[in-house]
Amino acid sequence: MGLARRGHWRHCSPVERVPVIQYPLLRTIHLLCGVFAVPALLLYGLSAVQMAHNKWFNVKPTVIEMEMPLQPGLGDGRQMTQEVMANRGLHGEIASVRKTPAGFESRVTVPGTVHEIRYDAVSGQARLKSSVAGFIGMLNRLHHAAGLRHEYIPLQLWGVLGGLVSLSILGLGVTGIWMWWLRKQERKWGLLLLAANLLYAITLLAMMRATGP
Amino acid sequence: MTWLIRKIHIYAGLLTFAQLMIYGIAGVVAAIYPGGERPKTPQSVRYVPFAIPPSSSDKEVAALVYKTLDLPMARPVPDWYLRHTAENHLLLDFYNVNGIRRVVVMEKEGRLRVEEIHNSLWLFLEDIHAATPGDEGAPRLVHLWACWNELAMWTLLSFSVSGLWLWLAARALYGWAWALLAAGIGAIAVLWSVFR
Repeated sequence: MGLARRGHWRHCSPVERVPVIQYPLLRTIHLLCGVFAVPALLLYGLSAVQMAHNKWFNVKPTVIEMEMPLQPGLGDGRQMTQEVMANRGLHGEIASVRKTPAGFESRVTVPGTVHEIRYDAVSGQARLKSSVAGFIGMLNRLHHAAGLRHEYIPLQLWGVLGGLVSLSILGLGVTGIWMWWLRKQERKWGLLLLAANLLYAITLLAMMRATGP
Repeated sequence: MTWLIRKIHIYAGLLTFAQLMIYGIAGVVAAIYPGGERPKTPQSVRYVPFAIPPSSSDKEVAALVYKTLDLPMARPVPDWYLRHTAENHLLLDFYNVNGIRRVVVMEKEGRLRVEEIHNSLWLFLEDIHAATPGDEGAPRLVHLWACWNELAMWTLLSFSVSGLWLWLAARALYGWAWALLAAGIGAIAVLWSVFR
């Protein structure tokens, strides 16, 4: 692998000065990042295929509607929503609460399910419409679920997992390219492929960025 | 067989390296900046003279604004997204991966107010990671990017398989790998069941 001996650096070309961390260590890091990330990568990858080729899949959710009586005249939409959630055993994050001429409308979301609640303050009737996604729809929602600032703890944990998986992907890339460089047998063709990719990517990204705003 | 899979794994990774790095960056950005937190303050404002033909509908004015300004990488504003300001000026938001060009049609003054709201590089990379060739109305540059992105998407799926193969072929007894695989599967399984 061309390990440089002490005092030998100034006689090395820039290429030979690439830090030679042990290949087995890099391979171990690459492996551990990969096995940790692979279940999520399959999830993100399959959902990406669904988004790129929507016509291949049926993502129509199952819709369930019901009505339930609440106390008339409730003045707090969020409180009304929490009451419905407790009554029906719903869980998730209150995504929005909106005052309407009749009362309130709110949305409670959890990946794969959206509950829409419409409350009539005069009659006290609440109409609940739950849209439940199938398997592929669930993958789609999980792909979009992100962030580290959620009230709903499981969604917060999903955000943490997504962040860790993303860092693992970056780790896979860095260790992967480092290992490739240390393995001399794939350097020639590898350089061509990498150069083609980087040239294409950087050129397009720069051109897109230059169009503003 | 393993040496062939390794070669394909390496070459495919190099061929889609930039896209894979952008997927990782997009995930980190999404974790830190969830969808709702986008820039809202314009970085620049300019005025463009503009005369509205009499008796034009909002839809016709929007189409004329789109044609007049000829904004790069912008699409026409859909009819359902035509809005008005508090002063009842027609408000048109032209989105692209770099941000928003917000146009207010000031009819009485005979001009357009054009505000530019700029996304950071990180938000740009997050948005561009999602480009797909199936988006028929996409600007040409985005479509060109989307084509290689499609390749990267399939490559990522194939890595999941080839990577597992290479691991099992070389180090099937490595305990830490099994532990982390179990951790990854377990985390998803638990959260999936909670969400359901």
